[in-house]
Amino acid sequence: MIDFLIHWVAAMPGYAAPLLLACLGLIINERAGVLNLGAEGIMACGAMTGAIVSLEWQTPVTGWLCAIAAGAAMAALFGLATVYLRTNQVVTGLIVVALGAGLTGLIGRTYISDPLAGFDPLDWGGLAAIPVLGPILFAQNALTYVALAATVAVWFVLFRSVAGLRLRAVGEDPATADAAGVHVLLVRFAAVVVGGCFLGAAGGYLSLASSQIWVEGMVAGRGWIAIGLVIFARWRPGLAVMGAVLFGAIEALVPRVQATGADVPIYLMMMLPYLATLGVLVVANMRRNRLTDEPANLGRPYARQDRH
Amino acid sequence: MHSWSLLPRQDVPAWLRVASLAGGIGLGLALGVVILLASGVGLGAIVQEFVLYSFTSSQGLAQTVTGAIPLLLVGLASAVSLKLRFWNIGIDGQVWLGAIAATGVAIADIGPAETRLWLMAAAAALAGAVWIGVPMFLRLRLAVNEVIATLMLTYVAFLLVQHLLYGDWRGSGIGFPVSEAFDEEGERLARLGWGHVHGGLWLSLAVAVGVAYLMQATRFGFYLTAVGENPRGALAAGLPVTFTLIVAVLLAGGLCGLAGFSIVAGQEYRLTQYIAHGYTFSAILVAFLARFNPLAVIPVTVAVAGLFTAGDTLKTFYQLPQATILIVESVILFAVVTVDFLARYRIVRRHGPAAESPAP
Repeated sequence: MIDFLIHWVAAMPGYAAPLLLACLGLIINERAGVLNLGAEGIMACGAMTGAIVSLEWQTPVTGWLCAIAAGAAMAALFGLATVYLRTNQVVTGLIVVALGAGLTGLIGRTYISDPLAGFDPLDWGGLAAIPVLGPILFAQNALTYVALAATVAVWFVLFRSVAGLRLRAVGEDPATADAAGVHVLLVRFAAVVVGGCFLGAAGGYLSLASSQIWVEGMVAGRGWIAIGLVIFARWRPGLAVMGAVLFGAIEALVPRVQATGADVPIYLMMMLPYLATLGVLVVANMRRNRLTDEPANLGRPYARQDRH
Repeated sequence: MHSWSLLPRQDVPAWLRVASLAGGIGLGLALGVVILLASGVGLGAIVQEFVLYSFTSSQGLAQTVTGAIPLLLVGLASAVSLKLRFWNIGIDGQVWLGAIAATGVAIADIGPAETRLWLMAAAAALAGAVWIGVPMFLRLRLAVNEVIATLMLTYVAFLLVQHLLYGDWRGSGIGFPVSEAFDEEGERLARLGWGHVHGGLWLSLAVAVGVAYLMQATRFGFYLTAVGENPRGALAAGLPVTFTLIVAVLLAGGLCGLAGFSIVAGQEYRLTQYIAHGYTFSAILVAFLARFNPLAVIPVTVAVAGLFTAGDTLKTFYQLPQATILIVESVILFAVVTVDFLARYRIVRRHGPAAESPAP
């Protein structure tokens, strides 16, 4: 039983990190007032790009950087349409999901299931042998530590820097930010692209660190789960870590239980992350009126000429 | 110095709406052709497969019409819910539930054989309505975002199908995870003698006419438009906003369930893992191109179903995956929503120094 628990907890960070990265990207987007429902498609592009680059050149680091660039490119497309051309953010997000699924299906079809050079757990020189804490803290891959560091960085930029103040102002009240001299559209576009980098990084994590292969549809709803997690985390990076760990725990449970050979209805168990997402949305909305950091202008396009 | 400025149009003239839709579709198709050319399909082959085979050959047209039967139902469902700005992204999930319910009635032989098809259809519609009812309830009671809720339930629905097909419902003596085949008598929609086109065609067309009547000639249709355009205004005017939402959304879920019924009872004759993939986005594409008008949904559905016929050919003869069609679909919708910008805003070039627009 103790063994089961330690294995389970040690597997958590690996499942939590990609959700955390995606969640951070979406927090950056949404704090600037842009609701990016295209997360699933952007992550798919990141996952495929990372896998292809790693397969062709055997360098996972370059693969991850290219995954980030691919995420930024897809997000730029989304930003161009929603921020500058003021298209509906929901339908544009859905288009990005479909486009991402389509492009990765077409381009990635010859790379499916090839084992690639990815990120293995770091070697801390025997620290992993420490009972209980060792496998949890010192048997993770490099990207997991990067994700944690990124959380601190995102928190710092959003809440302790002028750029972050401008970004949040644009999400809360774009007209006032505009009057104060903030370039609303530019800030929003930049937030979308930076958010896309994080989504691409999350996708790259899935193919380069989690599975170390590329399979069509491997994002499997994690982009959507991350969108739900942002609401659960009340648009705060710190709470996003908690949410990601919770969902990492749920996702890690299925393979651990399978490994014990217990006779459980596996497909019903696989529903857990999706049902849990519904559950946390319900919980988050029940307390919504009391505590919320939801940006007041989330999802609304801004045009100076539309001011009333 | 010059500066560019955008002015929202007070009123978009009808010709401009038509022109922007046509321009968007044209641009989208052109980009789609470029993508296909880049994937190694020649221009002649594109014309041959996408236009001539899908729409003018008897065999290809029959395949297109067969594909259009469920697509028409989900397209109508999408038009109804999008008219109310209820974003149903779980259409695939509701189609799955419809397919499960119809299969359940068929393999358990519930009810007399003469009325079993009707019972299968009713069970499917009910299951689809229940599956959309959960997110609807959560939105009405707790303001839970329906986009995520409907989508999460799609994943749950597909896992439920796998649970059944790898478990109790797996047909005996079959190597694949599929259910027992439906009885030939009373559990299958009759073929019409043209390709695989089946009796579900009449069902789909009748539903389309019914929805068109409901949306355009009844008081409920007026509520639907009013609530969709301006929910607060409708509430202030004393219209039954919540009631309208409940009825319209349950109707949409029911139609998706029926689509699932038409696939298992008309095409597959059993539950498989390949029934409802990719209907959600296609339905949204259909609804947007038809501008949420139920009668316009019919021709648009046939056009999109033609894309799928061509997609099957691409898969067989050019080894291109189904994803290719998804790219073409998304590029078309992307072009349509982007070009719409030109209809909504006027781009004005000003002379003189860049200045704030005058206060209203």
